[in-house]
Amino acid sequence: MAQSREIQNRIKSIRDTMKITKAMYMVSSMKVQKAKNKLAASAPYFDGLKRQIADILLHFPEIRHLYFDNRQKDEKETVKKKGFIIVTGDKGMAGAYNNNILKMAREAIGGSEDFRLFFVGEYGRHAFHDLQDHIADDFHATAYDPSVHRARVLTEYLLDLYDREELDEIYIIYTRMVNTLTEEVVKEQLLPLRTSSFLRASMKAKGDMAKDGDYLIYPSPEEVLGSLTKNYVTGYLYGALTESFASEESARMLAMQTATDNGDDMLTGLSVQYNRMRQAAITQEITEVIGGAKALRRKKEKNRKARTEE
Amino acid sequence: MNSFYLKITACDRVFFEGECVYLSFPGVDGSLGVMAHHQPMATVVENGLVRFRLPDGSEHEVIVSDGMMNVENNRVDILAFSAERPDEIDIRAAERELEIAREQMQQKQSLIEYNLSSASMARAMARLSGARRLKSDEPL
Repeated sequence: MAQSREIQNRIKSIRDTMKITKAMYMVSSMKVQKAKNKLAASAPYFDGLKRQIADILLHFPEIRHLYFDNRQKDEKETVKKKGFIIVTGDKGMAGAYNNNILKMAREAIGGSEDFRLFFVGEYGRHAFHDLQDHIADDFHATAYDPSVHRARVLTEYLLDLYDREELDEIYIIYTRMVNTLTEEVVKEQLLPLRTSSFLRASMKAKGDMAKDGDYLIYPSPEEVLGSLTKNYVTGYLYGALTESFASEESARMLAMQTATDNGDDMLTGLSVQYNRMRQAAITQEITEVIGGAKALRRKKEKNRKARTEE
Repeated sequence: MNSFYLKITACDRVFFEGECVYLSFPGVDGSLGVMAHHQPMATVVENGLVRFRLPDGSEHEVIVSDGMMNVENNRVDILAFSAERPDEIDIRAAERELEIAREQMQQKQSLIEYNLSSASMARAMARLSGARRLKSDEPL
C-alpha cells in the first residue's frame, strides 16, 4: 500500500502545480490582450511620424543629418562603434522566448570589436555575464508593462551617446508578433535611420506633393527633423518594447498551456496506475480471504473426517 | 466658410479628425494660427494649448505635448505624444508631476536627467495651465 500513497502524493502535487500554471495562463492572456490593444492604439501615431519624416526627406533630398545614414562622416569611418539594445523578459517560464533572443543577439554581435550592450529585461543581462565589460551598467530597464515614459527615458539616454559620437550605429534586437501563434526575433537598425526605407514608404504619395519652393519648414529643416527623429525613435522603442512584452506573455501563455496539458496527461497516466494498483490490492486481499476461508474449511473437514473415523 | 481637414493623433488614440476652420497652436516662438489653404509647412508644436474652431462655430481646446505639425493640400496633421481635453486632466496628478519634476531639477544630475526633468516639467505646466483655465474661465 505504501506505493499507492506515493502515487497519490504525486497526483496531488501535479494538481497543485496545474493550479499555478492555469492561473499564470490566465494572467498572461490578459496581459497579451492589453499589450495588443496598446500596440494597435499607437499605430496611427507611428505611421504619421513615418510619413512626416518621408515628406521632409522628399522635399529636401540634399539634407544631411546626423540621424540619417547619408551623413558625411559615414564615408570616412572604418570602424563603427556599435550599440545593441537587447530586449528580453525579466524572468523565464516563457518557453524558448528568451533563448531565441539570446541566440540572435550572439549572432548579431558576431565579430564586432567595438560594441556596447544595453539590456531591457534582467534575463539578458545575466545570460551575457561573459561580456560584462561591454554591458552598459547604468542602463537599467524592465521589460514589464512598457510605457511611453520609459521609452522616452531610453531614447534620451541613447541619443545622448549617439550625439556625443560614442556610438555610430544602434541596433535593436526584439521579438515581433507575426500572429497569435508565431513570433520572430528581429534585428533592426535604429540609428542612423535609413533614408531609403522612408522614401519607399511614401512613394505613392509623391503625386499630390506640394512644389518645393512653397514648402515652409519652421524654424529650420534640421531642427524639425531632429525633433521628428527623437519622437520617431521614442515611438519606435515604445512599439518594440510593447511588441516584445506581448510576445513574451504570449510565449508564456503557450508554455503554460503546454504545461497544463502535460499535467493532464500525467494525471491520466497516474490515475490509471493508481486504480490498477488499488484493484490489484483488492484482488489480492480477496484472494487472501478466500484462500484463508478455504484453508479453514479444509481444516474443519479434516477434523470432521478424523472425528467420524474415530 | 473655407475649411480644412484637421487630424490630431496622439500616441494612444486619434484625438480628432474632421473639418475645421481655424486652428491656433503654440509654435517655437509664440502662438501661431492656421486657416484654410495655408502654405505647405512642417513645424514643431510646443507643449501647450491647441485651439480649433469647427464649421459649426464651436470652439475646442486640447493640451498637447511633444507635437509635430504638417500642412499640405489643405490638410493639417498634428502628431503628439499626448493630446488631452482640459476636463480630462487630473489637476492633482499634474500638480504632483510638477512637484516631482521640480524636485528632480534641484538635485545634482547629469545632462540627460536634466533634459528629461525639464521636459516633464514643461509638460506638467502646460497641462496645469490648460486645466486651470477651464476652471476659472480666465483668458490665457
